[in-house]
Amino acid sequence: MSFDIGFALRSVSILSEGLTMTLALAVPAILFSAVWGVPLVVAIRSRRSGLVALTRTYIEIVRNTPVLVQMFFIYFGSGFMGYPISGFVAGLFALVLQNGAYVAEIYRAGIQSVTSRQTEAGLVLGFMPGEVFRIVVMPQALRAVIPPLSNQGVLIIKDTSLVATISVAELTFQARLLADRTAAVFEIFFALALFYIVLTTIFSLLMRLLEVRLRVSN
Amino acid sequence: MDSLIPSLPYLGRGVLMTLYLSAASTALATFVGLVLAMIQLFAWRPVRWAAEILLYLLRGVPLLVLLFAMYYALPYSGFRIEPSTGGIMVIGVYFGAFMAEVFRAAALAVPRGQWEAGRAIGMRTPRIIVDVVLMQALRIAAPPYINTSIMVVKGTSLVAIIGLADVTFIGRQIVERTLAPFEVFGAVALVYLLICYGLSTLGRYAETKANYVH
Repeated sequence: MSFDIGFALRSVSILSEGLTMTLALAVPAILFSAVWGVPLVVAIRSRRSGLVALTRTYIEIVRNTPVLVQMFFIYFGSGFMGYPISGFVAGLFALVLQNGAYVAEIYRAGIQSVTSRQTEAGLVLGFMPGEVFRIVVMPQALRAVIPPLSNQGVLIIKDTSLVATISVAELTFQARLLADRTAAVFEIFFALALFYIVLTTIFSLLMRLLEVRLRVSN
Repeated sequence: MDSLIPSLPYLGRGVLMTLYLSAASTALATFVGLVLAMIQLFAWRPVRWAAEILLYLLRGVPLLVLLFAMYYALPYSGFRIEPSTGGIMVIGVYFGAFMAEVFRAAALAVPRGQWEAGRAIGMRTPRIIVDVVLMQALRIAAPPYINTSIMVVKGTSLVAIIGLADVTFIGRQIVERTLAPFEVFGAVALVYLLICYGLSTLGRYAETKANYVH
């Protein structure tokens, strides 16, 4: 059992081919999840009990089942229906369905973290409810949701590795091919782990920058 | 639908495997999490830094990558362990990193004044840790602990990729034979839903109990 650092470095350049695919999946998955969370949180907070129950059911189902099973369901299911979609689209779909539900909960907690006195104060000053939400509640909620959103983003980046199982040639898929061919498994998986650590670190730092920018000095 | 009935006992074996992996991994993750949280809170500074780095690295890597590393590297490492044991070890240690954060945050959430109050009435440090801090921290930790346990249960589905016969793996095999992806993966999802929904109901109950502190 030896470790060839030279081979680890060379495998980095081969793995880079998969990096593009990982990024091509992770970036839209994060953005679409952040967007899909918005209608969901609006639905949970609405006064229509039917809509609330429906959204709650959806959220509970996707949050309590593995994203891998959802990917299989969509990928193999679409093929069976006669409208086969690619592993990439199926993976993206599953990631957004699942993480959008988590994001909605993050938004809900963020809105709730702004005390109702703030809303009351806005109403007393004569703002319309919509204006109170836009001017008073939202900016404060936005600041509260950045750190949990950052954590969720890291989870999404890591979960993109699952599409390797529905034959999308991203980082983990390439590493596996390489491992099957060369048997230098320690070097390859070391390099692969490094890729994900660098990716998640860059993402966390960016979110941290955003957090600092949004901070109000008081 | 009728053609699926003969597959049910087969799926049942997968359910048992998933339950076994979930229970064992959660237990191991809890243990690893407690140890790591203790190290982060109380250990000698360099040890604490080492634990910090280990936690950061664990949280930055996908579980699937660690499972693959175990699966491919095990034959070369000279150890002979069961694939299911290997899977439990990887999943347990991986989620142990998440559990550590749960326990650490809960311990820090107990106000400093509680330590001082314990000292003021003449308690010794170990008693303060166990009777005062730990008891309150457990209550605070209960809801996030349940959430992390749900992550563990869902995480066990990844062992299907390295060929362990859990409910996801068997679901895939049944789909290959019967060509009924919706019914079979629906049933597989239902298995996870029942386990996790049960856990999250427990979590909500724990949350109402935990609110008593504030």
